Amino acid sequence: MQGDLAERRLTPKEELDLKNKRTGLAIFQVSWIMVFFCLMFVHWQIRIQSPDWPPPGVEKLGVVVPSAMTLALIASSLLARRAYRALRAGQIETFLWNWRMTIALGAAFVLVMAFEWLTVPISGQYSNLFRVLVGFHGVHAVVIGALLVRVYRSAMRGAYHSGSLWPVEGAAGLWYFVTIAWILFYAVLYWT
Amino acid sequence: MASISVPVGGAPSQPASRPRLRVSDYLRWSVDHKIIGVQYMVTAAFFFIVGGTLAMLIRLELLTPNLDVVQTGAQYNTLFSVHGLVMIFLWIIPMMAGFGNYLLPLMLGAKDMAFPWLNAFAFWLIPPAGILMIGSMLVGAPEAGWTMYPPLSTLFSGDGQTLAALAVHLLGISSILGAINFLVTVKNMRPAGMSYWQMPLFVWAIVATSIIVVMATPFLAGALTLLILDRIAGTTFFDATKGGDVLLWQNVFWFYSHPAVYIMVLPGMGILSDVLSVHSRKPIFGYKMIALSSMAIGIVGFTVWAHHMFTSLQPELRIPFMITSMIIAVPTGIKIFSWLGTLWRGKIRFTSAMLFSLGFLSMFVIGGITGVMLAMIPFNLHVHDTYFVVAHLHFVLFGGSVFAIYSGVYHWFPKITGRLLDERLGKLHFALTYIGFFFTFFPMHFVGMLGMPRRVAVYMPEFQGLNATASIGSFVLGLSTFLLIYNVIASLRGGRLAGANPWRALTLEWATTSPPPATNFVGEPMLFEDPYGYGTEGATAYLDAVERQFGAPPQALAADKSVSPAAQGASGD
Repeated sequence: MQGDLAERRLTPKEELDLKNKRTGLAIFQVSWIMVFFCLMFVHWQIRIQSPDWPPPGVEKLGVVVPSAMTLALIASSLLARRAYRALRAGQIETFLWNWRMTIALGAAFVLVMAFEWLTVPISGQYSNLFRVLVGFHGVHAVVIGALLVRVYRSAMRGAYHSGSLWPVEGAAGLWYFVTIAWILFYAVLYWT
Repeated sequence: MASISVPVGGAPSQPASRPRLRVSDYLRWSVDHKIIGVQYMVTAAFFFIVGGTLAMLIRLELLTPNLDVVQTGAQYNTLFSVHGLVMIFLWIIPMMAGFGNYLLPLMLGAKDMAFPWLNAFAFWLIPPAGILMIGSMLVGAPEAGWTMYPPLSTLFSGDGQTLAALAVHLLGISSILGAINFLVTVKNMRPAGMSYWQMPLFVWAIVATSIIVVMATPFLAGALTLLILDRIAGTTFFDATKGGDVLLWQNVFWFYSHPAVYIMVLPGMGILSDVLSVHSRKPIFGYKMIALSSMAIGIVGFTVWAHHMFTSLQPELRIPFMITSMIIAVPTGIKIFSWLGTLWRGKIRFTSAMLFSLGFLSMFVIGGITGVMLAMIPFNLHVHDTYFVVAHLHFVLFGGSVFAIYSGVYHWFPKITGRLLDERLGKLHFALTYIGFFFTFFPMHFVGMLGMPRRVAVYMPEFQGLNATASIGSFVLGLSTFLLIYNVIASLRGGRLAGANPWRALTLEWATTSPPPATNFVGEPMLFEDPYGYGTEGATAYLDAVERQFGAPPQALAADKSVSPAAQGASGD
């Protein structure tokens, strides 16, 4: 259980594979965030065309619960980072605990936002935009969250005790992506 | 100057036996980039024929001013809508991806792409998308053109529009996955001793293209998601009567689709840079300028999208977009002059590949100049939505991209199959294509300036002369395609063996057998330090070493001076 797992000698091919995956993930993050920018642009374009925002008679979205959930998601990402570091240092127990917390906070975020999504008052563009943005982000959160769970189950079976840590690193990288994408949407939905 | 980086020569190793190509390998899932590359190309060629058939129907309809081929304007709308969608998303983009897939690892001396599985996955998204696209014609066909402007695409088109949008969505995702693969491969898998400035210019072009794909195509994904939601989920993002905005679609769509025109032409420019240098036996003129101008086009390409909307845009935004649109002609001009500089005093071999590249140069310049004309607001307002625009876009997409594709096919067919295409048929193909193309699309400039709108099946009788010319030209153009298809099939069966390096080219893909073995190279690839260092003693020594190692072209070929310079003496290199 002790010792830096990352120090395990990689063959040149494994080393290249790992490097490729890291580069690929970075490019994917930069690329796919553009969809979120696109939807932000859509939100901005539609709202500057409306004389009143939110439209008259529509209640502005409450900001307290989503803010708490945003903090939970950020904390979850930070815990994922701590988990990955612990794994690199060979501290499997610390890794598992942090990863569990990552999943728990992520699940809380998804569930609460799903509740918000279902209960938003129907009001034309205002609620449509909310639902499309939160829903689009939610799909990513659920799919990548499922990946976190899968990594956790593999870890419980001992898959990362020695050998490739990439699934953990990759899943964490995608979870950061979910977090950053949410911060963008959070800013436009609740603070503009 | 030039030296050989990897020691070559010594005892000639026995030439590896030529791997056999089996059709069945191409019909199933494979992670070999060479098979995937060919799968891309053949699939794309199939859709080229589909799109071409639609084009023939369009031109047949326009032979007379009245409705004759189609019964209603709506049917005509379907013809040109699906023609555009198929040609752009299922022919040119996948075809360029096919070249990229086949050539990139070979040019970089790599065994495969960075992510072989992902590569295969990206390809296998295309056939279902193609089926959706063809199926869209059967269920309430799309009628909103390839640009899918709402409210045409939301309130007036049938269910086929949804299928077409889904198809384009899938193709966009396929494109993004492919581009990520290209970028990672180029960044991480170059051989030791090849810096970025020693990469073939085709690789540079693919890098620039891939950057555009990863940054722009997500916008298409976002836009199509909203369009599909508007169509099936009752949202109203593009419905102006319910607080939506039709300009929103135009902005988001063109933010992708203008860069997409560079996605379609930059790889072609890469093909041109390689072909022109090899077949004029001269170092490419301005290597760095060509490489960097691709990047410049990629970056500036993101700032010009609203020139597609001069008539609908807020007037105060027109001038800035006019200026950026004109600026983008500068890097393009740098390329054109660099290619002319490459040709200047070269030992030009008028092979079919070279002829198509020269055809690209001449036709693309016309398309580029009409592009600058269209960037000028007063002129643009005059010819907006007329046949002038149709002429312009076909000059850059057919006269540009498709000519480059043809050039690439003649140039790399020997590498892919081990056999040469018939040069005499190739030249006939070129002559017919060039003439047919010119007479199809050049008259459209005139009818456009005279005021004939695009996307109409019925037009004023006084335009019939020019339209009939265009239609007859297009039939010649359509027939010329079958010469290439015949040539490919005949050459696959009984074409002359090509040897490893029939054109005596210096880039790495030629320093292995044709077709290459499953691992591309046996042992370390033999790298020459300057991919365009033709005409030096080092280059001659290197090319002779490649011939010793992988076998010279068969004698019959070497004696044919028009094809191979081998018989012209070493000084020709």
